[in-house]
Amino acid sequence: MLRTARAAVTTLILAIVLLPIYWMVSTSLKPNREITQDGTLYPHAPSFDNYTHLFSEKQFGSFLVNSVAVTVISVAVALAAGSLGAYAIARFRLRFGLERWIGLSLLTLRIVPPVVVLIPIYLLMLHLSLLDTWLGLIITYTAINITFCVWMMESFFREIPLDLEEAAMVDGDSRFTAFRRIVLPLAAPGLAATAIFATIVTFNEFLFALVLTATPRAMTMPRGTATLIGRIDTDWASMSAAGVVGALPIVIFALLVQRHLVRGLTMGAVK
Amino acid sequence: MTTEAPTIRRERLQGAGLDAALPYLLLAPAVLIALVVLIYPLWDGIRASTQFYRYGKPLRDVGLGNYLQLWTDPEFLNSLWVTVSFVTLAVAIEAVIGLLLALFCSREFRGIRLLRTILIIPMVITPVVVAIVFRLIYASDAGMLTAFSEALGGQPVQILGQSGPAFFALVALDVWEWTPLMFLIILAGLQSLPVEPFEAARVDGAGAWRTFVDHTLPMLRPVLAVAIVLRTIDAFGTFDQVFVLTGGGPGQSTLLLSIFGYNTAFKYQQTGYAAALFVTMGLIVLALALAAVRLLRRVEAS
Amino acid sequence: MTDKNPFQRAMNRRTVLQGSAGLAVAAALGGTTTVPARAADAKKVIIGAFADGGLTPFKQKIIPLAKTQGFDITFLEDEYGVTLEKWFADAQNKAGQYDLYLLDDPWVPQFGAADVLEDLGAGGIDGTNSDWVGPLIDMGYWPPRQGPRVKGFETATPTLVTVPFVGDLQTLTYRNDVFTDGAPATWDDVITKGKAGVAAGKIKYPVVFRGVTGNPIVTSWYPVFLSFGGEFFDDKWNVTFNNAKGKAAADFFVGTMKANAPPGVVEFDSDQEGAAILGGDAGAIIQYSGNAIKSDDPAQTKVPGKLDFGVVPKQEKAIAQLGIFIAGVPKSAPNKQNSIDFLKWYTSADTQAKLAEAGSIPVTRSGFAVKDPGNRLIPVALKQLDAGALPRPRMPDWAKIEELLGNALNKALQAGSGGGDALDAAATQVTAYLKQAGYYG
Repeated sequence: MLRTARAAVTTLILAIVLLPIYWMVSTSLKPNREITQDGTLYPHAPSFDNYTHLFSEKQFGSFLVNSVAVTVISVAVALAAGSLGAYAIARFRLRFGLERWIGLSLLTLRIVPPVVVLIPIYLLMLHLSLLDTWLGLIITYTAINITFCVWMMESFFREIPLDLEEAAMVDGDSRFTAFRRIVLPLAAPGLAATAIFATIVTFNEFLFALVLTATPRAMTMPRGTATLIGRIDTDWASMSAAGVVGALPIVIFALLVQRHLVRGLTMGAVK
Repeated sequence: MTTEAPTIRRERLQGAGLDAALPYLLLAPAVLIALVVLIYPLWDGIRASTQFYRYGKPLRDVGLGNYLQLWTDPEFLNSLWVTVSFVTLAVAIEAVIGLLLALFCSREFRGIRLLRTILIIPMVITPVVVAIVFRLIYASDAGMLTAFSEALGGQPVQILGQSGPAFFALVALDVWEWTPLMFLIILAGLQSLPVEPFEAARVDGAGAWRTFVDHTLPMLRPVLAVAIVLRTIDAFGTFDQVFVLTGGGPGQSTLLLSIFGYNTAFKYQQTGYAAALFVTMGLIVLALALAAVRLLRRVEAS
Repeated sequence: MTDKNPFQRAMNRRTVLQGSAGLAVAAALGGTTTVPARAADAKKVIIGAFADGGLTPFKQKIIPLAKTQGFDITFLEDEYGVTLEKWFADAQNKAGQYDLYLLDDPWVPQFGAADVLEDLGAGGIDGTNSDWVGPLIDMGYWPPRQGPRVKGFETATPTLVTVPFVGDLQTLTYRNDVFTDGAPATWDDVITKGKAGVAAGKIKYPVVFRGVTGNPIVTSWYPVFLSFGGEFFDDKWNVTFNNAKGKAAADFFVGTMKANAPPGVVEFDSDQEGAAILGGDAGAIIQYSGNAIKSDDPAQTKVPGKLDFGVVPKQEKAIAQLGIFIAGVPKSAPNKQNSIDFLKWYTSADTQAKLAEAGSIPVTRSGFAVKDPGNRLIPVALKQLDAGALPRPRMPDWAKIEELLGNALNKALQAGSGGGDALDAAATQVTAYLKQAGYYG
């Protein structure tokens, strides 16, 4: 009896999660007419027209390329710079109690909603003529990612016992070599978790993309999808297809790296 | 000055010469980027909040005038109320369901791996797309609820066109999207609990409910607290989903602070006023977070 | 990935940059392959537009026509909710991403006041040509040729910074089996004959309109307000919408009209409004042409053949709201001359005639004179234009004013009374706002 109860609950939960997604996929395979007039529960004549339309008319391909490029670059730079900085904070005592200041500012930047810096960054990019460019987005995302890269990597570095590096240095390794041979391998899971987390957040980012981009030369996937949400004469067909295409890469990515993802998410909460 | 005084708890490396400069070098890129892109604009934004803007250009200095005006602006006060209600309701529901889910999954059973995998999906899908998913559910002409209703012989379902239902529809969206996160965090907490107290309780013949109330819940409190605080802070800044789902409407029933600020800045071109709003928002969240941290310390100590 | 020192990290960074350069090339190529191949000497014009059914005839019939004339059109469509800020930012920043904006006409004051649009008069477009429909071309000037001027522009010469692109205005859609003598001439008619129609079982409610706060409710209230003889501001920008006539209009709106409309009207937006008239429940509605024309589509309406169009009902006057697509060229346009040439061709008698035949409301008299208009709303639109049609007040802050007014009206609508008081409350807020914005000395 317990087993059937469990099975029932499991099925219910799966249904709640998957039904909305099924509906979006099913809608994306119907023409607009069927969506608004007939309200069918499944596509009666499924076709991929909406998808081809998405790429040929709505320039969705450009959005995806922009998203991938901007995400990869900004996460890479943020991870590199952030990890180095995190190592510095984790291992060294700085003058003027600097690490306390840095820790505090990082915490502030992590807690305060990003929308708070929306207008200032917009004005900054306006003055630098970086609106609607890859570079503008990359700079913005790198900065945002650095804050929690440092925050996350600092904890990972702290978990690595000091003795290992010191032993290596006593044996003749330089600090760099110790870092490279001992610390990095141990921190690799942390790097992976941080990178995954940053990738998802950056790929999905909307607010800054909304404000900082305007044409398909720089618009990211979430921003591009927003051009289809139309409150006048809604184009449900294109909207649902865009939703499916937009969700697919990130969902596949997340499912592939589940373990690291979960570790990264729960890291801050459970010590 | 190249040698550091030895510390008693050996947490810091010791070195000389270039090694002393090393930490600063390592920190330089990160600090530089953060300084230029975040700290300076933040400062610039605070400065902008003391100006009165017209057509995108600052006209005159108004000191704290924008801030004072905020607190007498009915639209801001309404938006604040909507945001607080939304955050409270959504996070509360997410915490409860997340806890129940975590308890449900605390022991291996058939299908648990599939469940855990599928539960990741709502969290990682782009929030804009989640809003599209839910627009497709709620729409009165093309939506899933209407389709089901009509299939059963009923009327089209009106949700997003009415203030009350629209608000709860938004809460439902947030719950669908973020309960998995609460679930994961609480589950990790559950799995890290020591086994002995539960063994002891079982030996003592304690029932499931008693065990839960006397042992599980108190030990979970720190984890629950962290999860709730993190989620609350993020929920305050909700923007993407509302922008796509309702745009703040109907009327102002889903006009969260972030949307109100966006409209003020970009639709009405009141750049200075919006900057003041965002600074105020940041301070509110900061205050919340600090209060939460203090509460957490007390919970952990007990 | 596990064997890195800072130097190696830098190396990886370089390879990442190289990789991204490769991606950039791919994107550029990807971008160009979506633009169709064109003749070497075609005139490139980048048009920015928001998604709206009113532009469908233009997209489907006129753009291909433009291509045969040697114009290479790139049509960038975006969602209405984001276009104002995007284009304004583009113009102010001189980013040069667009050659032409298809603006919503209430945006003209904002762009005009910021001085970011090209002088089209100097570019060769004659605003005094009598072929233009008067009220439409008037909207192209900044500062406006008539009416109060915003501070700082009192002595400036009106410059033609935008030209009307696609016309649109409110007209009346009514049930011809209820209003059997043609369009109801007065508001009294609407209510009286409407009630008769309800009694006869033909309709459920004499009228339907939008009650959601903000732009929707103000737009619905606009023709009522104007018909009762109301005026928003005097020529010094003092608020006059809460004078006796304005209050009468508000009381009529939140009282009588609400009593004769579907019960949920206080939260109606275009969807519900459309459903009421097309579904056969409502007797009459005032709406823009984009929605009105759905009445002729058998797939959309449950009462085909029973819906006709006419001029809005009269109280003192019969004035509708005018809201058009209006085109401006930013000073930072990369293909400025092409853009202006395109506008000249587009607003010529020939092209306007073709536009009317395609089914859009034209902006010149010769366009209206066409023998075979693409939809039967076009002659009615001309009648309404001649009877009276006014745009929204020509001020950059109208969006905010509309919001304040909409909130007050919506509250009164919910209560079903107190329209006059709502206007007084709104008047206080609007005056305070305008004062802070520097409108009054």
